[in-house]
Amino acid sequence: MLPLEYGRSEDRDIIVRDRFDGFRREFLRTLVNPEVIEEHRQSALGQHSERLERLLIYFRQRPLEQRYAVRAIEPFRRYQVVRLSGRRGVPPRLVDDAIYTSANDARHGLFLRCIRDLLET
Amino acid sequence: MTPVRLFGYTDRISVKPGETIQFHVSAEGTDTAEAQLVRLVHGDQNPAGPGFIEEEVACTANGRWRVEPQFTQVGSFLEVDDPEGRLAFANSFTLFAFIHPTWPASGERQTIIGRWDGDRKQGYGIGIDEKGHLQFWIGRGEEIERLTANVPLQVQMWYFVAATFDAETRRATLHQVGVGNRYNGLLGKVALVDYESRKSAIFRSKPGNLASTPFIMAGSRSRDAQQRACVSELYWGKIDRCGTFDQALQPAELDTIRSGLVPAMDSLVAYWDTSAGYTDRGIGDLVVDVGRHKLNARGYNRPVRGQTGWNWEGFTDCFRLAPQEFGGIEFHADALTDCNWKATKAVALPHGLKSGCYAMRLRSGRGKSPSEEHVVFFVRPGRPRARIAFLFPTLTYLAFANERLSFDHPEREALTGQSAVLSDIDIEMYMRDDFGLSTYDMHADGNGVCYSSYHRPVMNMRPRYRMPSLDVASGLAADLSIIAWLDQSGFEYEVLTDEDLHRDGSEALSPYACVISGSRPEYYTERMLDATEDYIAGGGRYIYAGGNGFNATAGIRDGEPWIMECRRRDDGYKPWVSRYGEHYMATDGMRGGPWKVLGRATQKLVGIGLSSSGAGRSEPYRRMPDSYHRTVSWITKGVDGEIIGDAGLANDGAAGLALDYYDRALGTPPHTKIVTSSGGHTDSYVVNQQLVLYSYLGLYGSYDWRVHADMTYFTAPHGGAVFACGSVAFAQSLPINNFRNGASRVLANVVEAFAGAGRLPGFAWVNEEKQWA
Repeated sequence: MLPLEYGRSEDRDIIVRDRFDGFRREFLRTLVNPEVIEEHRQSALGQHSERLERLLIYFRQRPLEQRYAVRAIEPFRRYQVVRLSGRRGVPPRLVDDAIYTSANDARHGLFLRCIRDLLET
Repeated sequence: MTPVRLFGYTDRISVKPGETIQFHVSAEGTDTAEAQLVRLVHGDQNPAGPGFIEEEVACTANGRWRVEPQFTQVGSFLEVDDPEGRLAFANSFTLFAFIHPTWPASGERQTIIGRWDGDRKQGYGIGIDEKGHLQFWIGRGEEIERLTANVPLQVQMWYFVAATFDAETRRATLHQVGVGNRYNGLLGKVALVDYESRKSAIFRSKPGNLASTPFIMAGSRSRDAQQRACVSELYWGKIDRCGTFDQALQPAELDTIRSGLVPAMDSLVAYWDTSAGYTDRGIGDLVVDVGRHKLNARGYNRPVRGQTGWNWEGFTDCFRLAPQEFGGIEFHADALTDCNWKATKAVALPHGLKSGCYAMRLRSGRGKSPSEEHVVFFVRPGRPRARIAFLFPTLTYLAFANERLSFDHPEREALTGQSAVLSDIDIEMYMRDDFGLSTYDMHADGNGVCYSSYHRPVMNMRPRYRMPSLDVASGLAADLSIIAWLDQSGFEYEVLTDEDLHRDGSEALSPYACVISGSRPEYYTERMLDATEDYIAGGGRYIYAGGNGFNATAGIRDGEPWIMECRRRDDGYKPWVSRYGEHYMATDGMRGGPWKVLGRATQKLVGIGLSSSGAGRSEPYRRMPDSYHRTVSWITKGVDGEIIGDAGLANDGAAGLALDYYDRALGTPPHTKIVTSSGGHTDSYVVNQQLVLYSYLGLYGSYDWRVHADMTYFTAPHGGAVFACGSVAFAQSLPINNFRNGASRVLANVVEAFAGAGRLPGFAWVNEEKQWA
């Protein structure tokens, strides 16, 4: 394993990965529809359709600094969505002021953010 | 104003009533804390259960404690014992070492070896500059003179490095030569990389020598903000044999050393043979100077020994077989095995203390959320009296201690299938570097952490803690669901820890008719595994109340139970993997990795072993045909219907997180009965890698039958028996509906039978198919 913050400027693999990522995102955008969003809202952690699972697998594989997480302000009562730093010692940052009253609601808020990132970039 | 924070740990985690236990506390923003001894009863805050429950206990130490901020020395290094200052070179000298940097371009200065005080700018050293170049420097207090190599050091490659200083001419030289071979580094011969640098310069002065400066390997003397002596400029990487001469050696003499020989010259002051003193059963923290002055070096924060060295040829994969090729000692600037805080309070525990899990609750601060810390420890009985023992899997707590997988591990979210849910303490731990890492983490240089310790605050060995990547109570907080269940069931029990089992062997278990495990007793030393097997084979009755148990090897050094070692192999689940040749534990010489590979699959011990793991929705168990057989029908007595465990604090089911299954091919005893079995797991659950030869599409819950948990029972020699619950989530199904549920009923039936003095229910029936109830 190379250092967690190893400079990868010489690593040509990044180009290949980005290229794959571009094709993948292009396809994944075609999977987003109201049904898939509703499916996630109803069951963030259940058994999913292939369409939803493909989107989720992609979101879980994003580089750490592009990933979101849920912050429990008060477990079982208040949650927020944060974005990971990907850098040891640097805390996640808040992405908005939305407060969710359950972890599953927050997971869905996080999912909508991932969808927005996918569609907008 | 500094926010109030309290953190603590104890010198021991397993004590008896009446014994003295030391608390080490560090405080920020306050100089007092209110201490209250509490017994921990339930640790999961999930509102579907009883919530967090603690009982205050009278203790002479309750009351106001004076607390203070404490300093933590992070980073591993070696300090040489040199009382006569033989390494305080007043004139000419030479330094040499074989090195394998793992993060040369870290952006920070690193000292490889030297007698250097960075604050006072006094002494000498050989190290790495901010940009990853080898450097030799000296100082007399005002300016630092430096000689820097002209090619950068390559990551994970072996080098011979040396620096000479001729006091007469003031000529300094710096030598850097690659000594990579086909096996010992990242790059092969085909890589067009320049490894070599030879430079010289005339320095204006000679090094100064403060009496207080120690000779250090992998760091150098510094001071913290309060002017306390500490070690900084820590080195990332391996150091193999190294030494010093009190003359400036010539290039030919350095070439001789590079070939592996050390000239028997009078000018040799110290030669640290890093491979000396190895035994088949482990390597200590003392690095021996085989020269005439015996300037031995002692390790701090346990440098990793027994690592492949510069001359490793790749033919042997263990330090026991060719110690001379395994002289590598690995250092990490973020290693921590002991905070070494001053003792805040020595507490004599009450004599009549009931055996259980306790904590010193410390509180300070005002407002809505005062700072609160539970410093956890376990009280075993003065003399065993109960028939039931609950064994806290403290070695597994240690393996996970302060893990930060959700922040750092790129594959963790893919593995669990869900986004992390972070608490404030998780975020605070991620921001701090002074409480160390777990054996699930990687050092910042990308190498796995193989030592974990409880001589530091362990924030996930606390009640109420929820593991962020799973968003469930985990470890201690989950195991307390079994304690709460025992309490409300009225069974008399006592508690033990893995530490006791490792130290005392089967004698720790033998006083008890029935022993109950924790929900994830994953890490086992050989001694613990042997003791458990002997207990069961000798007539003991064992309840494996979890999943993913007895799975991973671990090492504990005698006399230092607070540190555990874990090496990870290329077979089995792993957050990182040890490099080839570095799979064997320096603690005791045992091979790291899963026990299954060593011929001791979990099924051989308790009937079931890891089938799969995942997260998200848990599932219930369904009664299987065997549950109606007269030999075991007593286990489900009083359970309504076919379904058991259809609710729980860990994702609403008794079968979840990690699932174990019956497998005759892995050693499940022949007459084992499957009482209940789970099914319907989502595709977040994936078949255990150890069970498949290839990776392929379809190893998931809805595709592969192996993704399930089996609840099993078998009788053992001399009246012994094993009941296995089959899942990590099982324990957290017990508190549902105020402990009145099918899982609770089943466990009560088994505990009652196992703890009873007579023969086991069902003994009168034989294992034939016609014996149905």
